[in-house]
Amino acid sequence: MTDAALSSAAGSRRASPRGAAVAKVFEGLCFAAATALLAALGGLIVSLVIGGWPALKQFGFGFLTSAEWNPVTDVYGAAGPVVGTLVTSTLALVIALPIAGGVAFFLTELCPAPLRRPIGTAVELLAGIPSIVYGMWGLFVFAPLFSKYVQLPLMMAATPGSLLEKLTVGIPNGSGILSASIILAIMILPFMAATLRELLLTVPPGVRESAYGLGATTAEVVTSVTLPYVRTGAIGAVMLGLGRALGETMAVTFIIGNSHGFPKSMFDSGSTIASTIANEFTEATSPVHASALIALGLVLFVITFAVLGLARLLLRTPGARL
Amino acid sequence: MNTLNPTEGFETSIASVGDAPVKVDVRNLNFFYGGSPALKSVSIPFVKNQVTALIGPSGCGKSTLLRTLNRMYALYPGQKAEGEIILDGENILASKDLARLRARVGMVFQKPTPFPMSVYDNVAFGVRLYETLSKADMDVRVQDALTRAALWNEVKDNLKGPGLGLSGGQQQRLCVARGVAVRPEVLLLDEPTSALDPISSAKLEETVTQLKADHTIVIVTHNLGQAARVSDYTGFMYLGELVEFGPTNQVFTRPATRRTSDYITGRFG
Repeated sequence: MTDAALSSAAGSRRASPRGAAVAKVFEGLCFAAATALLAALGGLIVSLVIGGWPALKQFGFGFLTSAEWNPVTDVYGAAGPVVGTLVTSTLALVIALPIAGGVAFFLTELCPAPLRRPIGTAVELLAGIPSIVYGMWGLFVFAPLFSKYVQLPLMMAATPGSLLEKLTVGIPNGSGILSASIILAIMILPFMAATLRELLLTVPPGVRESAYGLGATTAEVVTSVTLPYVRTGAIGAVMLGLGRALGETMAVTFIIGNSHGFPKSMFDSGSTIASTIANEFTEATSPVHASALIALGLVLFVITFAVLGLARLLLRTPGARL
Repeated sequence: MNTLNPTEGFETSIASVGDAPVKVDVRNLNFFYGGSPALKSVSIPFVKNQVTALIGPSGCGKSTLLRTLNRMYALYPGQKAEGEIILDGENILASKDLARLRARVGMVFQKPTPFPMSVYDNVAFGVRLYETLSKADMDVRVQDALTRAALWNEVKDNLKGPGLGLSGGQQQRLCVARGVAVRPEVLLLDEPTSALDPISSAKLEETVTQLKADHTIVIVTHNLGQAARVSDYTGFMYLGELVEFGPTNQVFTRPATRRTSDYITGRFG
């Protein structure tokens, strides 16, 4: 039918009425697809607000500031999971970004040709591993090693009252805030490295060669020319990595220790918004508990939205620092 | 003799430069992209403080030759050069410090390649790599470079503006200024006006003529009129070989080989 429509359209000079009808249908379908997306987003927000409203109404602003999360007494304050989410994601970003940058620069500027493909493929493979595998590996392999070779020695070395002691207090079982951050970092690293690498490859060869042509070394070319060249894209890549870290559920649930209070040190167990929801949804029997979990979802949504908004804002002023 | 069939090799004519001081002497240079040869035993002298033009049809190896002079090809694995390129008595093909070499042998590319920074910083970029100048000295250096590149009057009120905000012709002259600012001994120009309008091209040609007082210049161009106007010596290349080399007026008015004559009269290429 389309062939017939095409040939009849090609046969006459003016667009045939049938071609015009096809175009109308096509436009309508595209519009519907876009509208459906908006409707889904709107519906999601509305249902989160409605579902979370009882808890938000009952606890008010205290929902965000209180760290008491007690299903037994039906009192819910989200500060613990919120802080846990922000801290683990930020730490993960801090750990992953320099390494991802190093991988990307190595692959684009320094890597000998025969190694380029294997390392690039390894990065992509890492990005494809399901998060539950990272979680299992984190709990069964990483946590015992981390406990034995990092936590215990650091806790032994800490003198009472020192800053190190404050940072390392906790149960040395290998799980906790820092462990979760490291696992998260490993998870977002390949994604960021792959994106940064693609970005660096978009730098025109002439621009790189010009910088080398003035006598710059690789480090100078990267920091002064190629990095500023991809600055806006790099911010986007970082924000997407952060977005992934914020919402990551399974791996974090495995390794973070799952306690609701405010994390007191890097080794203390804690929780994130996503891990709390995953852990408790099946057990949320009281209406307020369920509502509090939905409200947590709303908070996560707002945080993610804010991160994306911030990225947009940073991307909107590309010439500001040029 | 005088055959157009490339497989039979061709008649060549390489004139001597006499007593003129040679800044860069290329001797029996072979170049390979992977396995395929791109330059075949090229020997050509570049005379100090003169402009040498390299002409020839696309793919003849003139840009390749240019990129050996600052070893730009070394950025890409699989490309290799054999032979000798003597810069002030030192074989640069054996040179280890490529950054230092490239600071001595500057290059301007076919398309303008301003860095994502201000006009001022673009020009100062290369200088900062090797010299520590006071703000005042740097200002003088930047103004001097922009003036030499015939751009100062157009950008002097907007030095903090982004280099990428200039017009194409201005960007290319900015790249010349950037190259000149580090005071290289040799300046390589790879079809510097191919992306420019006639007025910008004319300004750039004027710039090249003025720059030879301080630099040895090698320019690759497809524009024969430009080669005739700006250069003192001309090398005509074909299929990776240097067919003819000599003083420009001689190459253009009394070419010694049939192939050169055919090319400059527009019979092929």
